[in-house]
Amino acid sequence: MNSQNGHVIETTELTKRYGDVVAVDRLTLRVPRGGVFGFLGPNGSGKTTTMGMLLGLVHPTSGEARIFGDPARHPATLRRVGAMVETPTFYPYLSGRANLLYFQGIGRRGTPADVDRLLELVDLGKRAESKYSTYSLGMKQRLGIACALLGDPELVFLDEPTNGLDPAGVVEVRELIRDLGKGGRTVILSSHLLAETELVCDNVAVLSRGKLIAQGSIQELLRQHDGLRLRTTDDSKARALLAGMRWVEHVEHQDGGLMVTASQARAWEISRELALQQVYVNELTPVHRSLEEFFMEITGTDPATGKERS
Amino acid sequence: MIGNVANLTRWEWFKLRRRWMLWILLVFAILFAQLAVWGQFFSYQNLQTTGGELTVPASLQQQQGRAPRTVACNDLLSGVASRQPADLDPQVVAGLAAQCRQQAATLPARLGRAYQGFTLPGSVSTALGIVQTLALILIAILTASAIGIDYGAGTLRSALTQGIGRWPYLTAKVITIAIIALLGLVVALGTVAISSVIATAIAGAAPPTGATTATWSDAGIALWKAWSSVLPYVALTTFVTVVARSSAAGMAIGLGYYFAEQLIVALFSNLFSWFQNVADFFLVRNISGWTGGSGGLAGGTLPDQTHAILVLAVYTLVLGGIAFWLFERRDVQGATGGG
Repeated sequence: MNSQNGHVIETTELTKRYGDVVAVDRLTLRVPRGGVFGFLGPNGSGKTTTMGMLLGLVHPTSGEARIFGDPARHPATLRRVGAMVETPTFYPYLSGRANLLYFQGIGRRGTPADVDRLLELVDLGKRAESKYSTYSLGMKQRLGIACALLGDPELVFLDEPTNGLDPAGVVEVRELIRDLGKGGRTVILSSHLLAETELVCDNVAVLSRGKLIAQGSIQELLRQHDGLRLRTTDDSKARALLAGMRWVEHVEHQDGGLMVTASQARAWEISRELALQQVYVNELTPVHRSLEEFFMEITGTDPATGKERS
Repeated sequence: MIGNVANLTRWEWFKLRRRWMLWILLVFAILFAQLAVWGQFFSYQNLQTTGGELTVPASLQQQQGRAPRTVACNDLLSGVASRQPADLDPQVVAGLAAQCRQQAATLPARLGRAYQGFTLPGSVSTALGIVQTLALILIAILTASAIGIDYGAGTLRSALTQGIGRWPYLTAKVITIAIIALLGLVVALGTVAISSVIATAIAGAAPPTGATTATWSDAGIALWKAWSSVLPYVALTTFVTVVARSSAAGMAIGLGYYFAEQLIVALFSNLFSWFQNVADFFLVRNISGWTGGSGGLAGGTLPDQTHAILVLAVYTLVLGGIAFWLFERRDVQGATGGG
């Protein structure tokens, strides 16, 4: 598949090793054109390394990475991409405006007039002439976002764009990201704030220990991992019966009942199968999972801390 | 490719000219160049007034325990009693006068040389002789800083994601530094020219034997040699900064290598006679050989100019080549200089 078939990013068996450590393990990923794509994973899952390989900062050990159908690290390809990877980095002795002018100039992205427009867009117009070294973390983030938008790129990478922003800033940036994802542009958003991600992303990919463990639209992924809360006349017997059903992904005792991970469309089948075995349902409630719960379940980690769940 | 490098060079200048360091280094270069001109001027004035000076060691003075003192030949040879040093033994005075008479034969030539040292175009070579060493160190500091800041501030990542290419980016930095080195030398020499005009006006007409032998062609060659000798040092500093991903390492080598090499050559050349042959392939020694400088601390015979320029070319190509290769090949990681 290539970009003409609707994918802006394609990786095939992309791998990065640092000695014995495999940072990214045979990653095959397809990112559709347009919209906001969430790139999720606990700390150390390989998100930044993958972005680094796509942006030509990190050399893959093996495999292939393509953007718009062309080799990812090619300068001509990168000119169509904007990026803010990890913390924003600028020259501390230059003003915010001079920094943007510099990056606009070296990349020949848009015109100097765009610099002022972008500074206004990220609400830095009044501090444009202040030295970058005097900026707060939130202001640095805003400048990083402005820099990523220079030249109106078709593909934008934003790595933790809301870091250091106050609540109002988070809402503003969320709206901005949503707007950016409209009109054919693709935004790759990496964030550990899954509630935010859920609000703005159309599709997500989840990495864990360098491997892709889930990819698809958020609704689809969450639907697959929706569940049913169940109370029966004999929970132990019900659990054993449910565990034997091939379309039940998982079943466990929880809060004095059973939590079943299965499609909610199968609720009537659960009721029927249990009744046939003389186990009767007292309560059957659909449970919708949040992205955060989904993330914790499939990665086994807390999204905020990156630590494994106890 | 060329258009990209030209554009990057322009923007590298945009960045560098906003740094205080650049202008402070230029002020240092100008001050040292001025020191050369005015040093020559005062030396000339002194030679003209005194006819040369002789130092009288403490052991020859009647009053023991005094520090060595100088006496002017013009006083000694004047024959005027009041101008003779009263506190010296007449025999010592007679000996000193004999020395002065010997020196008087070379006085016109010495006056001529001193005069040429602060008047155009001879002052250009004089200033370059002094600024040359300093320029190496100043340019090393600038190179390490210009390249190292991208590792320290993490801006290498931001720059390379603009799709500019790694080689063009480093090439533009090196070209900018080379241009700044040339402009710095030209500006410093411009101030030398102004000072020379002023000093010449103060000094008045040239001494009878002061007809200048220095030419503008010599001055141009001296400028070319001074500038070209900076390039291998830029390559050395670029190499160290890229390898260590640190401006501090680049500066340390830039500052330390110049003196370290001379110390090593001085030490080992005294211990092993064969070491002089090895030293003929050292960087600073060949820079001195190329620019016609002195052997520094190590002394000895410097490599000839053909040998020197070839060795310097090899240094520039090898160190620069490795630096570019590493810059292209290595991963860029981390926000704070992991590079």
